[in-house]
Amino acid sequence: MNKRARNRLIGVTAIILIAVVAIILGAGADDGAYYRKVSEITASEEYVGDRVRVGGTVVAGSWDRQSNPMRFEIRDEDTDTGPTVQVVYAGGVPSTFGDGVVAIVTGTYSADGVIESDDMITKCPSKYESAKDAIGIGALLGQADSMTGTTLKITGYVTSEVSPPGGDTRFHVADTADGGEDLGVFYEGALPAGMDSGSQVVILGALEDDGVFAATDVSLPEESK
Amino acid sequence: MQTVGNLFLWLALIIAVVSVGSLLWGRRMKGSEGESLINTGYLATYGVFASLTASVAILLSAFFRLDFAFQYVAENHSTDVSGLAWLYKISGVWAGREGSLLFWAWLVAMFGAYVVYRRIQETDDLSNASLAVFNIVQVFFIVSLLIQTNNPFKTSPATWLGPDGELLIAAAMNPLLQHWAMILHPPTLFVGYAGLAVPFAFAIGALISGDASKRWVTYIDRITVFSWLFLGIGIGLGAIWAYVVLGWGGFWAWDPVENASLLPWLTGVGLLHSFTVYRRRGAFKKWAVVMATATFILVILGTFITRSGVIQSVHAFQEDPISLAIFLTMMILAALAAAVGLFVRSKEFQGADEFESLTSKESSYYFNNVLMLVAAIVIAGLTMSPAFGGKSYGPATYDAIARPVGILYVFIMAVCPLLSWRKTEGPLFWKRVKVPMIGTVGLFALFTAIWWIELWPKYEAMNPGANPATSIVHTYEALIAMFVAALAISIAVHLFIEGARRRSAAKGEGFFSALGNIIFKARTQSGGYITHLGIGIILFGLVGSTMFVQETITSVPNQPGAQFSVGDYTFTYQGFNEVQLPNSDVEGTVTFDVAKNGNVIGQASPGQVSFFRQQQTKLNASVVVEPLHDVFVVFQGIDPETDLISMQVKINPLISWAWVGFVITIIGTAIAMYPKRQLAAA
Repeated sequence: MNKRARNRLIGVTAIILIAVVAIILGAGADDGAYYRKVSEITASEEYVGDRVRVGGTVVAGSWDRQSNPMRFEIRDEDTDTGPTVQVVYAGGVPSTFGDGVVAIVTGTYSADGVIESDDMITKCPSKYESAKDAIGIGALLGQADSMTGTTLKITGYVTSEVSPPGGDTRFHVADTADGGEDLGVFYEGALPAGMDSGSQVVILGALEDDGVFAATDVSLPEESK
Repeated sequence: MQTVGNLFLWLALIIAVVSVGSLLWGRRMKGSEGESLINTGYLATYGVFASLTASVAILLSAFFRLDFAFQYVAENHSTDVSGLAWLYKISGVWAGREGSLLFWAWLVAMFGAYVVYRRIQETDDLSNASLAVFNIVQVFFIVSLLIQTNNPFKTSPATWLGPDGELLIAAAMNPLLQHWAMILHPPTLFVGYAGLAVPFAFAIGALISGDASKRWVTYIDRITVFSWLFLGIGIGLGAIWAYVVLGWGGFWAWDPVENASLLPWLTGVGLLHSFTVYRRRGAFKKWAVVMATATFILVILGTFITRSGVIQSVHAFQEDPISLAIFLTMMILAALAAAVGLFVRSKEFQGADEFESLTSKESSYYFNNVLMLVAAIVIAGLTMSPAFGGKSYGPATYDAIARPVGILYVFIMAVCPLLSWRKTEGPLFWKRVKVPMIGTVGLFALFTAIWWIELWPKYEAMNPGANPATSIVHTYEALIAMFVAALAISIAVHLFIEGARRRSAAKGEGFFSALGNIIFKARTQSGGYITHLGIGIILFGLVGSTMFVQETITSVPNQPGAQFSVGDYTFTYQGFNEVQLPNSDVEGTVTFDVAKNGNVIGQASPGQVSFFRQQQTKLNASVVVEPLHDVFVVFQGIDPETDLISMQVKINPLISWAWVGFVITIIGTAIAMYPKRQLAAA
């Protein structure tokens, strides 16, 4: 092989590699983002001004598809009561977006505690909860007086059709799939994939004075996974 | 039935192991005993294909019978009631993780059967060793299918089913997959993935048998082009699906799963060109092995990325450590096999790699390989970064790399055919480039005019007060890319005209019959040039559709006659129509008259489907196609309180150029792939 030609070849290859690395370092510094939890970025001022990538469940009712740019809140996936962070998202909204969906957003965390995002992907929720420590429907209704207003975990079978959100109750549950004492459940969030009339569900929430159970979360029993 | 399905999987596994064993054993034994063992190994490969065909048939029939005792059918059956419903029953097979893996393994077996069909008469040592490697790959696939999380023959939990076998739970095929492009996209992609195991197996087979002649390349180069073509079609269909279904108005988002399919395609380009040099010059032998191995590893990496759940993505499946281990083992073993083999056979695979000059054809092929490999490694690295606790990167980083590297790449691609082997003399090169240069300048002038009238104003509108430095880089990138696109198109066209002129002069044929003869006789080369032409057109399309998109989100009152404008376009609301389908899905459609500068040019009727069973919505975008741009219209919903309709409109310039270029590329590759009447004698 011609030595001069080989040296030139190596030289040009090296220039290409160096250029690529330089571009990655240059562009990646502004654009790259570390994955953070909502609880991490809200805990201190440390991440203000950073570009971050945060995933969390979309808080029910916190959003409006019509607003431009769209605003919504997310909360860490593994909690129902943890801190939330507001997201301002400029761009096309993915068609799967909705209450309870897991949204992964990338953007700058601003000083007023908002993630200004230009990138969002969504994942569908698949939720499971253990039914072991949950209260049965009959047991709950038997001591309704003392239990009203307390946050509880209950379990039962769906005995009715599932209606869209917006009504007084979303569906009814009882201790068995074919009947028994029956309890209406009010819930506006996303139902777990796979739930239908006849399936067992685990519900978090509280019994209201009007005898309707106001749910904050509906899941399938972990045992059925 | 699920048991029978599993039985056939086990049977396929046993036969595949037997095949590997008899091939490896038979190679060591001489004489007729060894030969009959080898023959067993070949015939067993047909057995693997037959067993897996039975498994696929069982799953397919379960979809047609809607047998919900199959958990996979319960989770992936389509609820569609349109004319495509029966097709969705077929596409159910590859709609989920378990079925798609089975389908893939089946395709691998089909390629295995094809290799046996071609080579069973010869049973030469090279083919024997290669088939053994191929069936080892197959064993890995079947083993991964037998793992619980990947097994398509799981039985549904008893609570899911009613007394008559009806489904009680709300599982069904993901509505986003109910689209014609999704019927075609996965199988084409999987054909490509499966076929790219063949060059890998033969590369390792060549290393094992120590046969560094061009034989292995001539056996498989058509099937490699075929696989690469299908991979490309699959990527294109995925882009079309993303464009019309995901409803965000783009076709490429540098999503991990998209990247996963692009990686083996990139190294595949390098592989095909290494094969050319291997065949014609006896050089680039190590490159061919490296690219074949890299391509195979990247195919597996793609599966790893999509199925392991290590990376957050739109498509990602749930996490699964065992499959992760299997796929990781496959990648490491493949890399080891190639590295050890190349080390041991270093002398045999020392090709005639002479570089006399930087301006030789060899060096353009070399840079082709370097750029494709670097691009693949960089994209793989950026994609995998978050899995190792690193940063995750958005489109901006990928674009920043892809633009200069892509432009440089297309430049090399464009001028390569004008270079000579070993060394290109300056005066000769200028003589060759003179005529295409005139064409280039003319085309570039046209492109610049389009840019000035159509594109530049959009950039200004979308980026008011942009950083001047950013704008300058953006502008130069666009201009250089348009110049390179003009060069690629002009050189490719010139090569055909020049070739036809010479042929008609030499053979006394008419110009057009000479042109036809060139295209259909020298297929590998002319197909390659047509592909180059397509790539040049795509590049110009990409300049418009990725660098100069104008997006508007707005809302209009829900009253017919209401209007809004985007750029030169005025949208006049006509009405809202809601239909409930027999399967309880609800489809809402808004209709707008679209006028440009006051003249009505068409209607846009974007819709939104609410899927009853899946409780999910899908946006159906509406696209008004114009020569220089698409007007992409999405209906985001009606606010019940304010009665406002939310609309998103994107003007995507030159996107149809990208689609046209894509089709030309496919045609070119298909011509290059079309088999010669007889294979070149070994």
